[in-house]
Amino acid sequence: MGVALYRVDDRLVHGQVVIGWGRPLGVRFIALVDPAVRASSWEQDLYRMAVPDGVEVFFADVAEAITLLPEWEADRRAGVVITGDLETMAALYTARPDLVNRINLGGIHHRADRTERLRYLYLAPEEEALLRRLDAAGAELSAQDLPTTPAVPLDEILP
Amino acid sequence: MTPRTAALIRLYGVQAAWTYERMAGIGVGHASAPLLRDLYAASAPAERRAAVARSAEFFNSHPYLAGIAVGAVVRAERDGVDPAQISRLRIALSGPLGAIGDQLIWAGQVPALMGLALAASPWAGAWVVGALLVAHNVARLLLTSWGLDLGLREGLGVGSALSRSWIAQRASDAQRVAAFGVGLATPIAAWQLLGDARPAAWAIVGAITLVGSVLALAPGTRSHVSGLRVGLGLLAVAGVVIGGMP
Repeated sequence: MGVALYRVDDRLVHGQVVIGWGRPLGVRFIALVDPAVRASSWEQDLYRMAVPDGVEVFFADVAEAITLLPEWEADRRAGVVITGDLETMAALYTARPDLVNRINLGGIHHRADRTERLRYLYLAPEEEALLRRLDAAGAELSAQDLPTTPAVPLDEILP
Repeated sequence: MTPRTAALIRLYGVQAAWTYERMAGIGVGHASAPLLRDLYAASAPAERRAAVARSAEFFNSHPYLAGIAVGAVVRAERDGVDPAQISRLRIALSGPLGAIGDQLIWAGQVPALMGLALAASPWAGAWVVGALLVAHNVARLLLTSWGLDLGLREGLGVGSALSRSWIAQRASDAQRVAAFGVGLATPIAAWQLLGDARPAAWAIVGAITLVGSVLALAPGTRSHVSGLRVGLGLLAVAGVVIGGMP
């Protein structure tokens, strides 16, 4: 099975991931790639509470994730890899473009320097530039908050 | 009125200013304001305004548990925690509070009360609607009050406190009670609606209800059987069975 979804979502582990994607994909592990959470035991306590019994949660920083990506891909269970920002996902893609080839933009929310592109996707100019670079490098990028909503390809988000 | 009471009242309207931009953030900021005003009473107005603005940033969780986040954030402000870490606390609380709240309230308490009220309706009449509303809102008040106090007491340690508290286990139990309530209500509601149906139909519905209740309560199956699944399944089967009876 391996990694069924590479998702960028600044809310990290929450209902859309656990229930919305987790149930239809049969997700049994979630890899949260976030250096701050990796270093924070109280945050890890909270995220563990957000997942139901039977779903394992891994916490990794970028370097650990790059090392562990082949292991996650070879896992017999279905899993989701989540990053809280585009930069982290871009680092994973840059290291292993053969594995991280389809990236789901699941939720990047309001910030003062960001512009609304979709109701759940707000992008700063440097984030838009990063998405264009990833696109040019061959990554398949689309926005989709839930499996029941249509995926929006990057060329519709940033025409 | 004390700042805590004001915050408690404001938490009832935590979704009143819900937007895709900040979701429940503005409601959380509004609920936090009385506590922050009290906390920053001796500080410069700019400091207080900055704290209120921080508390109104993007936030999303179950509305009935938002008090936990309000309390934890205010306590973290009181403890002088770095603002960036407070923002991370808000984000980290969103997922678990949403997941626990969905299980405890939407998949637990609400269908449980609806099912039990429906089951009692032939004998209690219209009064059961009032009792349902009172029970639901009293439970919400107690839950919100408990959550606000937990957050105010624990601050950054609220995650560990939550995992030690009753709430995670009760969220699971609430779904089993919901399964029982809906299973109980289904044949009674069917009896009310189709009082002249053949006895065989009632026997079938009773058997289905019994099986559903056992599945929802037995240790081996209860983790797979939510109140919603049992309720919808029983409704569908009962509808087919009764609808197919001549």
